[in-house]
Amino acid sequence: MQLPLLASTFATVFLAELGDKTQLAIVTISGTSSRSGAVFAGSSCALVLASLLGAGAGGSLSAVIPTNALQLAASLGFLVIGIRLVIKAGQAETTDSEPPTA
Amino acid sequence: MTQAADPPEPQASGPDNAPPGTAGNEATAGSFGAVFLTTFTTVFLAELGDKTQLAALLLSAESGRPVVVFVGASLALISSSLVGVVLGRWLARVVPPHQLERGAGILMIALGLWLGRQAVLTLLPSGVPGELPVG
Repeated sequence: MQLPLLASTFATVFLAELGDKTQLAIVTISGTSSRSGAVFAGSSCALVLASLLGAGAGGSLSAVIPTNALQLAASLGFLVIGIRLVIKAGQAETTDSEPPTA
Repeated sequence: MTQAADPPEPQASGPDNAPPGTAGNEATAGSFGAVFLTTFTTVFLAELGDKTQLAALLLSAESGRPVVVFVGASLALISSSLVGVVLGRWLARVVPPHQLERGAGILMIALGLWLGRQAVLTLLPSGVPGELPVG
């Protein structure tokens, strides 16, 4: 009798996460890094741990953890990664003369 | 006998070759730990504030079987991140490297601005009249 509950939870969360900002970030990091295994491991651990924390703290996660401040920190991280990527892309274009050695 | 004793790469999981997205720049590729930490921190921070719905879902299952709900949710989260990683690899194979880097960078900046705006708007005392009417 547990399978329907498992399946419905899976479907709900999976559909909710598709196209989420987190997944966009994962696509970005994975696409620009050659270590897909590390990206997958890191994001999986973070997602599971975050949901575990959320469940452990109950519905009042924001009372325990300053989630808004954390989101602000996350947005700064996004900005730093984004700016670094754009700068790297610009540098790659200026030094485009050397062929990429596979 | 012919097998190499110590492959230098710790975990080049997936297909045989690394994606050509970051062709030949080992400095930017980083170690496994560095990439893991970067991804973990980014995803964890971004997701932590967003986990209220999932927490509510888990709580709502408290009458029944929260462990089953948690397992299902975790599987779904892992699958969604797998989809993201696979999508990123595919993009790295299709799109030229620095075009991808620029696009990804712009996307990250946009996400950061959006996330930061949301966080600031909720941190600020709500109900400030005429603050930012633009949606």
